[in-house]
Amino acid sequence: MPLLFPLLLSAALFGVGLYGVLARRNAVLALIGVELMLNAVNLQLVTYDAWYGDTTHTGQVLTLYVIALAAAEIGLGLAIILALFRARGTVDVDDVERVS
Amino acid sequence: MKLLKGRRWPYVALTALVSGAVAWWAIPHVGTRTRVVGDYQGNDIGPVLPTLTLDALVSSASAQVMLLAAAVAFFVQLYSTKYMGDDPRFRSYALLIVLFLLAMVAVVAADNLFVLLIGWEVMGVCSYLLIGHHWERDDAQSGAAKALLVTRAADIGLLLAILILGQTYGTYSISEILVASGLEHPRNATLIGLLLIVAVVGKSAQVPLQTWLPDAMPGPTPITALIHAATMVAAGVFLLARLLPVYATSQVAMTTLAVVAAVTMLSAALFALVQTDLKRALAWSTVSQLAIMFAAVAVADGRVAVDHLMSHGAYKALLFLGCGVVMHAVGSSALSAMGGLRRATPVAFWTMTVGFLALAGIPPTVGFFTKDEVLEAVRGTPALFGVVLLTSIVTAAYSTRLWALTFLGEAKEKHQTPWVMWLPLALLALASFALSIGKPLHLGIGALSTVAAVVGIGLGWLLRARTFESRAGRVLAGEFGYDRVFTRFIPAIAGWKARTVVWADDNLIDSYPRGSVHAATGSSWLVDRLQSAKAQLYATGIAVGVLALVTYALVRVVVS
Repeated sequence: MPLLFPLLLSAALFGVGLYGVLARRNAVLALIGVELMLNAVNLQLVTYDAWYGDTTHTGQVLTLYVIALAAAEIGLGLAIILALFRARGTVDVDDVERVS
Repeated sequence: MKLLKGRRWPYVALTALVSGAVAWWAIPHVGTRTRVVGDYQGNDIGPVLPTLTLDALVSSASAQVMLLAAAVAFFVQLYSTKYMGDDPRFRSYALLIVLFLLAMVAVVAADNLFVLLIGWEVMGVCSYLLIGHHWERDDAQSGAAKALLVTRAADIGLLLAILILGQTYGTYSISEILVASGLEHPRNATLIGLLLIVAVVGKSAQVPLQTWLPDAMPGPTPITALIHAATMVAAGVFLLARLLPVYATSQVAMTTLAVVAAVTMLSAALFALVQTDLKRALAWSTVSQLAIMFAAVAVADGRVAVDHLMSHGAYKALLFLGCGVVMHAVGSSALSAMGGLRRATPVAFWTMTVGFLALAGIPPTVGFFTKDEVLEAVRGTPALFGVVLLTSIVTAAYSTRLWALTFLGEAKEKHQTPWVMWLPLALLALASFALSIGKPLHLGIGALSTVAAVVGIGLGWLLRARTFESRAGRVLAGEFGYDRVFTRFIPAIAGWKARTVVWADDNLIDSYPRGSVHAATGSSWLVDRLQSAKAQLYATGIAVGVLALVTYALVRVVVS
């Protein structure tokens, strides 16, 4: 499989994630965008790990780290969004900014 | 001893001290024929920096004018203790007289041209303050402002003349300049002469800057005597006489001066003839007499000019101080309020009679002798001679008219004249005779001028009751409408200029601060847009920035 395919997929994932973060009004969807970007990075890490034939598999190890970090991050982020919804009754990013 | 008490006398003592010192300084120089010596090295050093030195150059003419100024200032101060005795601002008044005297001495005795300029300007300021002494009155305010503005405008001529003298001769010392102009053909004579004439025309109230002097009449009468007789206006004559060698070779300057003098002396004398106010008539008389002095300067005879200055100083101070006594008696300076004062104010009557005789040029008063000298001096210029002779006829005529209107007629009640007021009058009347001692006499011209004076007196006697209702009379009484230039056109021009400046200030200068306000508003609007508190907008900015950096790096890699 040429290197280009996973890289293109990774770029597409990252682009979609970036779009989600920048453009979505809903805080949950923006958070999903962040996850997409993280996963784009993960995809790159494993791709290059496989490409270079790294015997220590640094890329895969880093990917595991990122997944753990992402799990922690999404837990924290969802907690914030939940608290926000309880306090404000909305998870619309623009509304939150306007009120604060 | 009661007379010597009171708070007025310290000022008289001060003036006496200063006058005495000036006289002490001046007397040894009277009549000396000092050759001006100066170590002039030639102008090879080019233009020089202005210098201020306190060197004195006291010629015989300086000494005479200093004595005149000191004496008149002292008389005026003495006279003022009564005339202005109850004035609330007597102190500033009295001290300004002393300053005036000192400034005149600076002009007359200084060797350095800049010291002369300082004295000249200080006199201008003093005259402004003294003419405007009664500043509660509108006419005093405007008269003072006019005197200051006109003379200051003309003073630019003096400043330029001094700078050009410095450029030409490489020195600002009068003695060195006089020596230098004697050694070689004077350079820049026309330019310097014309600039000096501009300065002097303003200071001595000659055509075309003559109108400030009659309008300075709201000033206290003793001050008028001081300004007209000994200080302010006399400084112009003295300056031209002193610097005569510098510009005497210039035909243009001398002709200009002669024309100015001729026009001024005759028109001012005619104005004096039709006035309805004694003080104003005397003011025009001063203008006319000064022009006679300038006529002598215009034929390069400075000594004669200063002689006439001295004699005029004596009798004009006398006339103005007498006018003050008369005004004191009737409470007005209008001729219509006067008449019949012969018995009411006998001292003023007798002394002013002497003054008018001297003004008219009747022998043996000093006015006769010095006018005789002037006529002798200008004999080589028939046109000027004719004008001077005609002027002396008109002078005699207005003298007679003023005298008759003031003193003859129904007797008024007697008015007490305190001794401080009549003593200066008596001494000045004495001087009007005493100064003629030793003056040369030219028989033919003397007879001619006496005849002219007698004709003038006859004419004046016939004209004494006339009110000048005719067309020509009204034109004369309106002083040729010349003052309109000063009261209407120049203020209009100044107003237009002021409006232009205001417009420029509002629209041109202020556009910069206003523009900076717009720039600040705009930039703060921009910053406000950026500081939108929208996290997504910030994130977009970050993303775009990263993208731009990456693109830039890629392009560089590809290109290189």
